[in-house]
Amino acid sequence: MSMDYALVLHQTVFGGLAALGFGVLFNLGPRSLVWCALCGATALAVRSAGLERGWSLEASSFSAALIVGVVVQLLRRRIGVSRNTLGVAGCIPMVPGGFAAKAILGLFALTSPTLENPDSTLIQSLVFSLRVVFTIGAIATGLAMPTLLLRLRK
Amino acid sequence: MDRFNPEVKQDPLEDIAMLSMEFGRWLMECGASGAVVDEFVARVAAGLGADRADLRVGYASLAITVGRGAEVATRMCKVGSPGVNQRLDQAVRTLAQQVEQGGLGCAAVRSLLDRVVQETPRYPGWLVDLAVGAACASFGRLLGVDWRAVGPVFAAAALGQFFRRSLARRQANPFISATLVAFVGAVGGGLGARQLGSHTVAAAMTAAVLLLVPGVPALNAQSDILDGRPTLGSARIVWVAVMLVFVTAGIWLGQLLLGEGR
Repeated sequence: MSMDYALVLHQTVFGGLAALGFGVLFNLGPRSLVWCALCGATALAVRSAGLERGWSLEASSFSAALIVGVVVQLLRRRIGVSRNTLGVAGCIPMVPGGFAAKAILGLFALTSPTLENPDSTLIQSLVFSLRVVFTIGAIATGLAMPTLLLRLRK
Repeated sequence: MDRFNPEVKQDPLEDIAMLSMEFGRWLMECGASGAVVDEFVARVAAGLGADRADLRVGYASLAITVGRGAEVATRMCKVGSPGVNQRLDQAVRTLAQQVEQGGLGCAAVRSLLDRVVQETPRYPGWLVDLAVGAACASFGRLLGVDWRAVGPVFAAAALGQFFRRSLARRQANPFISATLVAFVGAVGGGLGARQLGSHTVAAAMTAAVLLLVPGVPALNAQSDILDGRPTLGSARIVWVAVMLVFVTAGIWLGQLLLGEGR
């Protein structure tokens, strides 16, 4: 399966920018913002590469979060900031907010008096909801695993 | 194990309990997970002279029992609205580590904590607005918004963040505030994208409100459950779900107004 490198690069750049913007909102220090942008870019690079390879969104998001979690743990001395917060801020661009909105909009539409295809609307809404739940679960688990393993080693 | 200097006068357990929880309260309000709150409260309590500290981390309150020898004290405190403030979180953790070394009394620690809370810097509001605009525009590109809609998404999200700050200053209910901000962001992003001839107006409306997606509480909820705190995790999940419904209600109202998304 061939990979669209331009798309991966595009997602990497905008993933980094999105994480940077959220880093400012979360009041990360100026030096941490650079790490935050790098985490966001890494996360989106891994996720996009996974999606290009044909992996599911959930598997790609899990892999991306796991790699961000490992990198943040490995660089903990240089980063000098709360590692968990940095990992979370870096993974924020992967939180499927768009899917969540579509899922709830679909549920709202079900109550419309002029709805034409209630079955397909319900199924689509359910699929979006499940993807939100599984993707958030995958991201959080991927991020938490390095910390939990490190705690076991101690 | 005697962790403190016997020369230093021992503070009453009630003071130790309340001050330790104050650290926990700030950490909760800054977006820390339950495990982090538990760990740092225990470290502060130990540094202040408690032999043991058992903390219950709830969504809206903390309860602690601290003990020293045969003495025991149990106290509880409220926790405010969840937010994210990484620099304050970091400063509180650093102070907690300092307190853990021992030798500081409750009065000195309280004064240091007050100073940390007052002096931790924040970015100026206008910079946060612009950064949020840039983040949502980037989110838009990740969601497939075309280039024509990027500018409107940036402007609408920045305006939405400005509006959100104004509502927060007036202590508006966070859920109602989310609906109003989502409506403003969605209508602004949608109208701008339509004016500029974008083919992804509906996606632009969604991208302009992504500043409201409660990503940190959602991830914390999962971490809390993995860390063995299902009650706190479940409460956070409910908060996240209700917040998403209110945010989507704002988008839905915006779509009704602009006739999009049908």
